Amino acid sequence: MRIIKIGLPILMIAVSLVFLISSFQIPKATLGSANGPLYFPIGISALMLILSVIYLVNELRNIHEKEEKLTDVFSKRAIQLIVVTIILGIIYALTFETLGFLISTILFLGVLLFYLNGWRKWLVNVIVTVSFSFITWYGFSQLLGVSLP
Amino acid sequence: MEGFVEGLMTAIQPINIIWIVIGGFLGTVVGMLPGLGPATAVAVLIPVTFGMDPTSAIILMAAIYYGAMYGGSRSSILLNTPGDGSAIAATFDGYPMAKKGQAGQAMAISAVASFIGGILATFGFVALAKPLASFALQFGPSEYFLLMLLTLSAIVSLSTGKMIKGFIAMCLGLLLSTIGIDPQTGVHRFTLGMPHLAEGIDFLIVIIGIYAVGEVFYNFLTIYKEKKKQKENQDMGKTWFTKEQWKRSKWPILRSAPLGFIVGVLPGAGGTIASMISYSTEKQLSKKPEEFGKGAVEGLAAPESANNSASVGAMIPLLTMGIPGSGTTAVMLGALIMLGVRPGPMLFENDPVMVWGLINSMFIGNIALVIINVLLVGLLVKVLHTPAKVLYPLIIMLAFIGTYTLSYSTVDFYLLLLFGLIGLVMKVLDFPIAPLVLALIVGTDMEQNFRMALTSSNGSLSIFFSSGISVILMILTVLSLCYPLILKLIKNRKRKEDQTISG
Amino acid sequence: MNLIDFKFLIDNFKKTFTFIYSEFNINSEFNKIRGVDIVKKLVVFVLAVLILTACSSNSTSGNGEYPTKNIEVVAPASPGGGWDLTARSVQKILKDNSLVDNNINVINKPGGGGEVGWSYLHTKDSHYLAVNSSLLLTNHFLGQSKLTYEDFTPLATLATEWQAIAVSVDAPYENINDLFEDIKNDPASIKIGVGPGLGNDDHLSFVQAAGMRDVAAKDLNFLVYDGGGGDVVTALLGNHVNAVTTSLSEVKEQHIAGKLKILAVSSEDRLEELEDVPTLKEEGIDMVFPHWRGIMGPPDMTEEEIKYWDEKLGEMVKSEEWAELLTNNDWDDFYQNSSDTKAFFDEQAELYKDLIGESGLVQ
Repeated sequence: MRIIKIGLPILMIAVSLVFLISSFQIPKATLGSANGPLYFPIGISALMLILSVIYLVNELRNIHEKEEKLTDVFSKRAIQLIVVTIILGIIYALTFETLGFLISTILFLGVLLFYLNGWRKWLVNVIVTVSFSFITWYGFSQLLGVSLP
Repeated sequence: MEGFVEGLMTAIQPINIIWIVIGGFLGTVVGMLPGLGPATAVAVLIPVTFGMDPTSAIILMAAIYYGAMYGGSRSSILLNTPGDGSAIAATFDGYPMAKKGQAGQAMAISAVASFIGGILATFGFVALAKPLASFALQFGPSEYFLLMLLTLSAIVSLSTGKMIKGFIAMCLGLLLSTIGIDPQTGVHRFTLGMPHLAEGIDFLIVIIGIYAVGEVFYNFLTIYKEKKKQKENQDMGKTWFTKEQWKRSKWPILRSAPLGFIVGVLPGAGGTIASMISYSTEKQLSKKPEEFGKGAVEGLAAPESANNSASVGAMIPLLTMGIPGSGTTAVMLGALIMLGVRPGPMLFENDPVMVWGLINSMFIGNIALVIINVLLVGLLVKVLHTPAKVLYPLIIMLAFIGTYTLSYSTVDFYLLLLFGLIGLVMKVLDFPIAPLVLALIVGTDMEQNFRMALTSSNGSLSIFFSSGISVILMILTVLSLCYPLILKLIKNRKRKEDQTISG
Repeated sequence: MNLIDFKFLIDNFKKTFTFIYSEFNINSEFNKIRGVDIVKKLVVFVLAVLILTACSSNSTSGNGEYPTKNIEVVAPASPGGGWDLTARSVQKILKDNSLVDNNINVINKPGGGGEVGWSYLHTKDSHYLAVNSSLLLTNHFLGQSKLTYEDFTPLATLATEWQAIAVSVDAPYENINDLFEDIKNDPASIKIGVGPGLGNDDHLSFVQAAGMRDVAAKDLNFLVYDGGGGDVVTALLGNHVNAVTTSLSEVKEQHIAGKLKILAVSSEDRLEELEDVPTLKEEGIDMVFPHWRGIMGPPDMTEEEIKYWDEKLGEMVKSEEWAELLTNNDWDDFYQNSSDTKAFFDEQAELYKDLIGESGLVQ
């Protein structure tokens, strides 16, 4: 878990550096104050850089302290579940507009439920998937007039 | 007060009472759903209002608006997923209360707090509409900048013990807020050439992503282990708060109502800032600040009262000057114009029955809403009985739909997942989330107002000290940052004294 | 969705729910029903849902002539804004007067100042239309869009608002020329409120008027309120800016109530209800600046399709509802049919190209 404890502040430093460097690349304004749009992002990313470095130093100092929470929460199965959800989300985003709301939602919700809830409770899964998809579709597109694909 | 009686007669017409109840209920429902806020609900109802009597239309729209303030905190309390910016503060103590098995009590007290906030603000509306409207006009760019600064510092100061993390989260939020076209100069910042990013990242996507999706991911980590725990959580039976809880919340509710009301009157400030400031004020006034964030009932009641009275306050600039003070009132203005009503300085003179009808409807509406919401408590508590493995996929799906309704684009889905991951990491590593989200919400306005203030003073910083309001805001900001430090000092000294005594 | 569809939907809804209800009961009581049976029912149920979606998205009029399916009107903005109101009004008036038999839906595609919605339209067939305004031209000149007005089929210009320049009631200006004189003498002292972004009509109309009085664009100190018209007016009422340039509707009521003073409007003639406000022309600034809205289709629409809309929209703007909409919103009739609109766009494109160059937004 050390990797995460140290990795995060390093990631923060990287993020603030990226923002800082690209802040300098913001085009000069042709109207009003030429550097107007630069100051704020530069100032904030510099502040964040300093804070991230302090954060890193703090973490390095406390590196030997045991934090049960971290080792406790990262089980392989849980991470797998999150990865699956994200992949499903991306597939959902890709199919949303081509397959339409109802079909893609039924697929997304169905697969996720079957994966998480197991095949044994298939009846609950199917009923929840279909009825929930249908009710939300009806509620949003028909009652609230939201245009869904 | 002329027109008051006629207004009352208008408001108690059966048809209008029906609209109040429908609007309040609809508002409660959309308030609960992530991403769907009162603005969307009012906007999609515009075609419905086409044929309506303008008074009924504005009564309906206002009911949706404050109804959403009631509803917004339901999902904050139950699932740690605020439906809108103004419901974020309700997660701080509302969710811990639910975890302790007090979900029913939390929802009951928040409904009652909202009710008191709403009613007091309506009285305030009757008495103070005009003077407050002109007070709001005194807020120029420098005052707005300082108000946002105060809000931010109040939020960061809440993360006692992890200040550095709080500040980093705030910086990240501020940086995210700079993405998009810079209004002052038209320059594109960090848009990577994508037209989708030109208008910036909608803070609601970040709220839904970090809170809703992030919370689900966080719970996924332990979902395979939680079988035994669930039984302990079954004890949600109580749907009314205790006398002790009421005693603790009474004064915070009463204090927060006027505070929220005044912040609500300021165009652009609104419920989010009102609830945040009221929360941090209560924490600082409290005798037991260490209980805040761990399920202190007053930490839930105060912001609930504040955001509801802010929604009433936001109607003042709309009705007295024709100027919308929030996203929702902007949409309401559009709808009223379509009906041939032009809110403006002349509205009180030209159409007193409508204005008084609306005000009276707010009294009735708040009574109706507190009843609706208290009745709903029993039903909503059942959400927690839904098996986690069914509930979480449903929340994720609602998050996707809510996101879609924001800009009708699937590009936002990727942002949603990204912020879900960020939310997960922040939760695992104990980063405070509110500073990031709040910085994102106020960041743009803060920077723009700062630069506008400098432009109008031709570059001199003295403008930030030029008015009484600025100076007061400045002092409050410094206080809110130093207060935790002072507290620490006092405690340290006490400890030292104790040590010397015992030693 | 028309009435028959709706009944069909309700019927299916009822069936669905009775089904789920009975299914639940059977299941929770003893769970003794044989799996095959349930699967069968479920298949039927899923099929019903799928058929239902198919029905609701494809109700056709069926006579083979354009339009053959639902009309979709794209509002390139969120619900509640000007474009959305225009789209929804067009939808409602066309339907209420039975001008178009097919269903008309409004689709919101906000983002990039219209860019997202218009790019979407660009890929669609002739049953998709979109609301537009001068941003269609300016986005391209500001380098925010590759698409130009020539990539679409203009169908009509519908209505216009007029621009107004206003100052606070106790400002020392008798007329617009005094204001410009003051800016010329001491540019730094005059702050002009505008919103929600630079490069819009509010901004460019002021640049044009100032240019005609020999005030250079670099001497104009704009404070940009990204909240838009309402915030700009608040700022003027609170004396945080010296002058504002905005749509007439934002300041009209305030002027009538004597809270602020409109110096000039950009219309051809003086307007009803504002007889005391001169036009820019009368003040010697020879320009008329409409803030128009129109409607267009995707590229390559056929002659017949264009003719169809010329006819329908031409009738629509003659309706009473349309007239009422115009009065309520302080819009003026600005109807031009497809060919006039095309010529109008050519002319406007010239103007905006020059103005953006003059404003200094692009170098």
